[in-house]
Order: sequence, then C-alpha cells, then structure tokens
Amino acid sequence: MAVNHTGPSARPLRLSPAARTGARLVRSFAERETKALYKRNVLGWLWSLLKPLTTVAVYSLVFGVIYRATAPSTANGQAEVFALYLFSGLVVWNVFYTIVNGSMRWMDGVSELRKKIYFPTETALIGGAAATLLQSSLEALVLVVIMAVLANVSWTLVFLPVAMLLATLFALGLGFAAAIVNARYRDIQHLTTIVLSVGFFMVPIVYTPDIVPDRAYGLPVARLVELNPLNSVIAVARDAVYFLDTPDIADLATAAAWAIGTFVVGLAFFRRRSMAISEEP
Amino acid sequence: MSEPTRASVQAVEVSDVSKRFRLELNRPTSVKEAVLSFGRRDVRHLWALRDVSLTIDKGSFFGLVGHNGSGKSTLLRLMAGIHRPTEGRITARGRVSALLELGSGFHPELTGRENVFLNGAMLGLGRRQMAAAMDSIIDFSGVGDQIDAPVKIYSSGMYMRLGFSVAVNVEPEILLVDEVIAVGDEEFQQRCLQHMESLRSGGTTIVLVSHDTGLVRELCDRVGWLDGGHLRSVGDPDEVVDAYLVHATEPT
Repeated sequence: MAVNHTGPSARPLRLSPAARTGARLVRSFAERETKALYKRNVLGWLWSLLKPLTTVAVYSLVFGVIYRATAPSTANGQAEVFALYLFSGLVVWNVFYTIVNGSMRWMDGVSELRKKIYFPTETALIGGAAATLLQSSLEALVLVVIMAVLANVSWTLVFLPVAMLLATLFALGLGFAAAIVNARYRDIQHLTTIVLSVGFFMVPIVYTPDIVPDRAYGLPVARLVELNPLNSVIAVARDAVYFLDTPDIADLATAAAWAIGTFVVGLAFFRRRSMAISEEP
Repeated sequence: MSEPTRASVQAVEVSDVSKRFRLELNRPTSVKEAVLSFGRRDVRHLWALRDVSLTIDKGSFFGLVGHNGSGKSTLLRLMAGIHRPTEGRITARGRVSALLELGSGFHPELTGRENVFLNGAMLGLGRRQMAAAMDSIIDFSGVGDQIDAPVKIYSSGMYMRLGFSVAVNVEPEILLVDEVIAVGDEEFQQRCLQHMESLRSGGTTIVLVSHDTGLVRELCDRVGWLDGGHLRSVGDPDEVVDAYLVHATEPT
C-alpha cells in the first residue's frame, strides 16, 4: 500500500497566531497550577493521592463496612469490593468538583493581571483545568493498577479518559459561568461549595443506582438522579473500568451532549462578560 | 475604504472613539446585598473619552498630555486592547507592548523568570524567543539573582525595572508607556530613554503618557492634549504643550 507523504497528516500541525498564543498561555497557567500544588511537598505527586485515597477509605468504612452496602460484581466476578466501585465514580467526580471550584480561584488569580495586559482570560481557567486533569490521571492510574492486580482489565479502559475529558468540559462550562458571576458577587463561591456537596449525593457514587427509590417525600428521586448529567459520565467511567462493558451508547451520547453543550455556552458567556469585569475599578 | 499604501504607514488609528465606564456607588458585592438593594441602585455612567480621532505614524514618537482623569490612560488601555471602545474603532498594527502604570502585567506568585515567559506568551512570543531574550532582559533590569524569586517580594523599583525591561526587549512594533519612567532612579531613567530612542530608530512606534512636559517636548514628534475626555489639540509638541500649560496655569 502506498504511503501518501504529502497528506494532511504528514504536515506539521499549523495553528493560527491567536491559537498559538492561546495554547502557550494554557500551558503556562497549567504549569503554574501544577507547581503551586506540589512545590512545597517532598512527596510531590504521591502527596496528591492522599486526599482521594482517604476519601475512598472513609466512605468505604461508613457505607461499605458500617452500612454494609454491597457493590455489584466486577466483570470477572472476582471482586465485590465497595471501595473500588466507589473509587471508579469518585475519579470522575474529583475532576468535576476540582475544576468547578478552582475556576473561581483561577479567575481571581489573573483578574488584576488582566487589568494591565490583554490576554484571553479563559486560558487561565483552561490551564487550571488541564492541570487538574493531569493530576486526576494519576488517581485513575492507581485505580487501573489495582484493577490490573485483580485481573479486571479490558480494552474498555479507553473510555475512562473519555469520561474524564467529558467531566472536564462539563465542569469548565459551569466553571466559566461561576467565575464570571463570582467576580461580581463574592458569595457565589460559598454557594457553589454548598451546591457541589449536595450534588455529590445526587449522583450514584456512594450508592448504586438500583437502590434509589422511585419516589420519596413526594419527589421522583430516581428520575432526578437519572437526569443529573454527571450520572451519564459516571456510568461511562464505571462501565469502562469496573464492569468492563462497552459504555451504553445512550449514556455516551447524553454525556457528550451535556459536556460539549455546557462548555460552548459557558465559554461564550465568559467571553461576552470577561471584558466588562476587567474594566471594573 | 482605506488605501493600503496610506494605511501601512499608520501604526495606530483612532477613529471617533468614545469610552463609557459604568460606575456604581455602593455596588453590591454579594447576592445577599444585591437582593437587599434591589431597586435602589445608584448607577452612573462616566464618559472617559468622547469622539477622539487621531492617527500615529509608524516609527514616530507620540506624546499624550492632560490633567489627571483627562482620559490619557484610558486611551492607552484601548490601544493595548485591555478595554474595548464603547463607540468608534481603534486599530493598532503590529505587536503592542504596553507598560501601564506601575509594574505591568506580572503574576505575583510567579518568579520573575516565569513572568517573563508568561508575558512573552501574552505578546505572542514562544518560549524559545523569550529564552533568547532572557539574558538581556535580566541584564537591563538589574534584578540579578532575584529573577528566580517570586515577584511579590520585589521592591517596587525592581518590579518596574523588570516590567520595562520585558516591554522593551520583546522587539515591540508599538510601545505604549504610561508615566513609568518617573519611578526609577536617575540612572535607570537615562537608560530607559536611551533604549526608547534606539527602539524608535529601529522603527518602533512609541506612545508616551507623561506629566513631564519637558520630556514630552524633547522626545515627541507629535503631541495630543486630552481634556475631560476630549482631544483639545494635536500637533507640534511645543505648540500643544504651550497651549496645555497656559490652560493648566489659568485660574479656574
């Protein structure tokens, strides 16, 4: 078979000057965030794993041991470890949570700077999100290694990064909006923390979807959990790494539609409003 | 439509530019306050610039004079792209490097060196280009070993010197300078002026905002005088500065 050397793939990637500038800024802000996270710790990257692993341990103790929650079996049926079921959902949740919360901080970090020099402000948030995704990849790697030890791995793992990327886009979309509103009304960051802590229990992370009652206190609880956009993203991640199933195409489509839609709308809103914020005294 | 030959010699084109700022007394800073002050908000608008039109030729040295609050800094910010005009159009042809107020665009948590790269990225320059310019930037600023310390611990003099050093060492096509040279010591001021002269002879367009009318007369090819957001006059430095000084010393 002839190889076409002049095809588009043979040419080096060529970006417009504006896109190149944007890419450089994203990289700078991502490096800055990564350094800020690990500079002061001798343990470096390992230290960053302590928090998610502690969360897994604590929730496993409370829900798995004390409440005796049971997890569905993994693909090979060898393990019904609640901690791993939890971990596979938590990996995605952490990406989402850290980016939504971080967006407001990343925005504040550059708002003074933006009053003195022009640059596309969204690059600070995208850079922060990229750093978060990198850090979460390490968590995901730990999860995959544990699964490998239990001989519970398959090609479906390729969907784990897809789920994490979709969580990133979804979170960035919300983060763009939160950062803009928070720049004006400072209590939004506190409200966001509250909403996120409620949100954590609105997705099946510490419980399985099948134990949710249809109705409780007059509310269609099962439906609410199901409609939560993150539910689909977490379902994709769980299929990928826990059940080793090809993710349900409906889940994947729903997750992608929400993630891309939220990102596009959030970015458009951010671009419209960020100029006005840099003009405030 | 503009002819390409004429357009190519103008580095900055300001056409009928007006800029309005929204000012709000006691603006609510939280949702709680916003709800409580609903319907009782005191919003005012301030026109910082009104129908300003001017052009700055490529390779020239342009000065802006005027009282505090006359709109000089606003006009410079519009040229730098930090603000957008409310009305009218502003065009800057070429890479704009701006040194506004004290300190320019540094991120306080980053080291001097990291900030140099970040500034470079904001101006559209890659790491390699900035690495090549790094030695002359450090040299010129006199910051020395402190280049690897976070800029938040810099003295205001160091901050300003590094800012200036970056702004002039990135081969700007248009350099915007707002009053900063007055902050450094005599020796640094002299070096700044020399460097601006050499940039100008290399084809860089320079726009300087200054209260030092002597400096403006000495350096500038043309001067604009802003008064209350209006461009009172623009032209020969001596004529414009004289008119401004006569106006400034008149009892009001």
